[in-house]
Amino acid sequence: MYRILVYIGAVLLLLGASAFGLSLWDGPTAWHTDARTFWGIPISLFVLWIGLAHAGTLISAIFLALGYPLGRRTSMIAELSTLCSLVVAALFPLVHLGVIDNFYMVVPFLDARGNFANLRSPLVWDFCCIAVYGVVSLLFFINHLFSEKKPALKKLIRPMAWLLFPLVLWVHTIVSLDFAVTFVPEWRGAYFPLYFIAGAIYSGLALVIILLTAEHCRVRVLEKLMLSLSWFMAAFWFWEFLLKGMFSFEVFFLGAVVPQFMWLRVIRENTFGRLLVAFSILVSLGLERYILVTPSEYDVANAFGWLDLGLVAFSMGLFVLLFFVLRAKLSALLEGDDVVMGEIVLQEDDPAKMEVSESNVFSALRLPLLLGVLVTLVYVTWAVSCDSGVLVSLSVANIVPLCLPLLVLVASIVLCARPLWSILGNRIRFVAIVLAGILGVFVGAFWAGGGSDTTSAVVSVQELASAKSIEGIWASRCASCHGNDGKFNEKFVREFYPLPQKLSLERLDSLGADSLVHVILNGRINMNPYRGRVTEDEARGLVHYMRLLAGENQ
Amino acid sequence: MQVLWGCRRVPDFSGVSVPELAEFEKEVRQALSCSKGAFDLVQVPMPGAIRAPGASPLNRFGMAIDLDACDGCGKCILACMEENNIPLSPKEQRDAGRFMHWIEMHGGAPAMCFHCGNAPCEKVCPTGAASHSPDGLSTMMYKRCTGSRFCGANCPVGARKFNYVDSVKEGLVRKFNPGVPLREKGVMEKCSLCIQRLQDHKHAQMVAKPGTEWRGSGLKTACSEACPKNAIIFGNWLDQDSSLVKEAKHRNLYVPAEIAALDPSVVYMRGRR
Amino acid sequence: MDAILNALSCLMALGTSMFLWRRPTSVYKETGVMVLSLCVFVLFSYFTVDSSEATLEYMPFRMLALCLCFSTTSLTSHKSRYMVLALVLWLWVEFFGGLTFVYRGLEMPWTRVVAIGSGAVGAAFLSHISREMEFMLMVYWIAIWMFF
Repeated sequence: MYRILVYIGAVLLLLGASAFGLSLWDGPTAWHTDARTFWGIPISLFVLWIGLAHAGTLISAIFLALGYPLGRRTSMIAELSTLCSLVVAALFPLVHLGVIDNFYMVVPFLDARGNFANLRSPLVWDFCCIAVYGVVSLLFFINHLFSEKKPALKKLIRPMAWLLFPLVLWVHTIVSLDFAVTFVPEWRGAYFPLYFIAGAIYSGLALVIILLTAEHCRVRVLEKLMLSLSWFMAAFWFWEFLLKGMFSFEVFFLGAVVPQFMWLRVIRENTFGRLLVAFSILVSLGLERYILVTPSEYDVANAFGWLDLGLVAFSMGLFVLLFFVLRAKLSALLEGDDVVMGEIVLQEDDPAKMEVSESNVFSALRLPLLLGVLVTLVYVTWAVSCDSGVLVSLSVANIVPLCLPLLVLVASIVLCARPLWSILGNRIRFVAIVLAGILGVFVGAFWAGGGSDTTSAVVSVQELASAKSIEGIWASRCASCHGNDGKFNEKFVREFYPLPQKLSLERLDSLGADSLVHVILNGRINMNPYRGRVTEDEARGLVHYMRLLAGENQ
Repeated sequence: MQVLWGCRRVPDFSGVSVPELAEFEKEVRQALSCSKGAFDLVQVPMPGAIRAPGASPLNRFGMAIDLDACDGCGKCILACMEENNIPLSPKEQRDAGRFMHWIEMHGGAPAMCFHCGNAPCEKVCPTGAASHSPDGLSTMMYKRCTGSRFCGANCPVGARKFNYVDSVKEGLVRKFNPGVPLREKGVMEKCSLCIQRLQDHKHAQMVAKPGTEWRGSGLKTACSEACPKNAIIFGNWLDQDSSLVKEAKHRNLYVPAEIAALDPSVVYMRGRR
Repeated sequence: MDAILNALSCLMALGTSMFLWRRPTSVYKETGVMVLSLCVFVLFSYFTVDSSEATLEYMPFRMLALCLCFSTTSLTSHKSRYMVLALVLWLWVEFFGGLTFVYRGLEMPWTRVVAIGSGAVGAAFLSHISREMEFMLMVYWIAIWMFF
């Protein structure tokens, strides 16, 4: 069974891989982009898969946090699907970018040019939230996976579930803000956070129901929840229609009408009937995202090229392959003792026991949360001081979306570090230390590369030195090599190897004024550094003078 | 010593065809034949200083487009392409009515980036590539752009253009002006209000007349220089002696309704008052 | 939106909250009631709020959040926990809705956000909620809805 699914996944992946490769090679011209928003299928797939990534944590973490634990295998399957969908989802924003090499500039951490990411942009929040969500759900999954054998980990699960509960909703809220903060008329939506969360949970439930069918089991509670959510989605679509006149019959039919067939016993009790309903929900939600992302192309069938379809196939193939390979590898740990997986009845724990465990949860979370708050405060203060944006003020509201993910990241690492460390073998500990060292060096290098003063240089042009003094500086400092007329003093310069570049107009243009000022002040190859001997304003004047000379020489 | 990152590469034109000026003229004619719909205009007062920390109290550059004088000849589009090395669009894009032109005709009148004082594009740019200059220009750092196209989605008037193709390799661009870099594939671009002219003007004044305040007087952008009817007037909104303020004082000023609340620096003029 | 309609919307939220969590509870019944009341709020907002007002966009969902807050007072177990969750939902709707408006040039309703947030923190510390306390809380929520 799994083998067949793995093969299907591999075939889809191979078919889609060519489309994926071509989109990386060709950039955004490869797939269909909306004429108005410039966005296309990668963003739709990103939103869809991020939504699917929610079900896992929702089902296991939120139910657990609220005291309604599901069967171990159900929650493990759901969590594994979260991790796999996250991998798929994380690929598509990269594909979407025009200049993929500049991706690191989105990270709100100093980069080598001393420029800081723009904290007002929802994309920056997005990146942080998803990265943190990935790390924390991985930790949660590992805890859950080994908790049967290691009692030290078992105690962590509920506190971790309480950390994940707000984070999972936060992530999709932030994704919805990518759309809701804009001026695009179709994306007007102060209600988008709830709308996106409902859609994410809905599609995620459908996915988990499909995956559970592959395990030959069903969980009626999830089916009931899915059916109830279909009504919520219908209400949201109704509001969207009233507010903006947007309505798609296909989306409504597949997403809100078809699920009602679950009322019929024939469909509900039939495996294929359930699969059909679940798949129809996934198609509906995928279509809905596509229509949302490309608002000016209502004719979806026309807009879809083979490359768009290829990307869809790629995402599906990658998910199926990843999921079922991991599922087969981990089957011993996943299945454990409770091989039989039938109905799970939601049963509340004994209230007295609950009280005790509740207070345990909060005492376990106290220290990690405190540390998390401290680190978040330090980060926010530092980030605000780094923000270089001129003329666009940064408000408290812009920073808040970054705070929760950071807090949860620190808290969950603090919470898990000791118990996880204690159960690791010596070899793994060694590897972990080496990896942490490499990460530290990398982050440190990233940090140390920061700090250039180009932004202040732009302002100081106001106080340029006078033309006369610039000529004097040129004669006294530069002319010995570069010549009074800007041509080389050949007799002197030929002693150098490699030969210096000619200061032609083209060369000066290609370097740009800031770089030339930099060279004058800090030197380069045979050119001596002149910092301390000429001021920055004088250097800027020299650059201007060089251009004048080069123009005369041409 | 720090490494010099991000120096502009000199584009390699070897082995590619460089289009002739006639092809640019032809594309402008094609763009004129598929003019976009007119904006809904609303009246606004004269733009003042930008109310934000860091804004210059002396300079806020902008333009006024005289709708009574403009006859939509399209000379400004061509002048802009020559000044800023704007590439041609691939044929299929052209036929779909999508051009790289920074100036486009909306209902027979030129429209470019309005350089909003409170620009929505700058707020959503993840890397800070779209940012504001103290002089009131909405600027682009091409080297910092990662091509997320968020700014393009959030521009209410669609003034931003995306470089879908490598225009040097495709033979779609000619470097008319050596002072302006060619944009690489995958970055956003838009009207820069001829920032290179402003910069040169400033440097020249600082060297020739040190210690004087620079207000950009006497400067013209490529489009305003090229306009035969003198319908595009460039100037400094905060300089009472600039030709822009002198002219706009006696006129009714309008901007597209979509951006009326965003404090644009480029306005339309119509009728006398 | 004038004060009368605002008061009416608050009353509607209070009225629909009466139907929630009536024993015997079931998934279908509770979500059904929620969705139906959401539809009522949607129609109410559509017909009473001026369509040029941006705050129309999240009006029905604010009403739903308020309705859920009211409904938690009729719970029999874990009352304070679900009350905190409902208040956080309300805070969520207000804060993120407000954030989208900040980008479109409106002001963030800080007083309302802070009032709801402090209400949620306060409710987290209530171990036992008496009838009088419930009444006071409801008055507090109504005051937030009406005046902030």
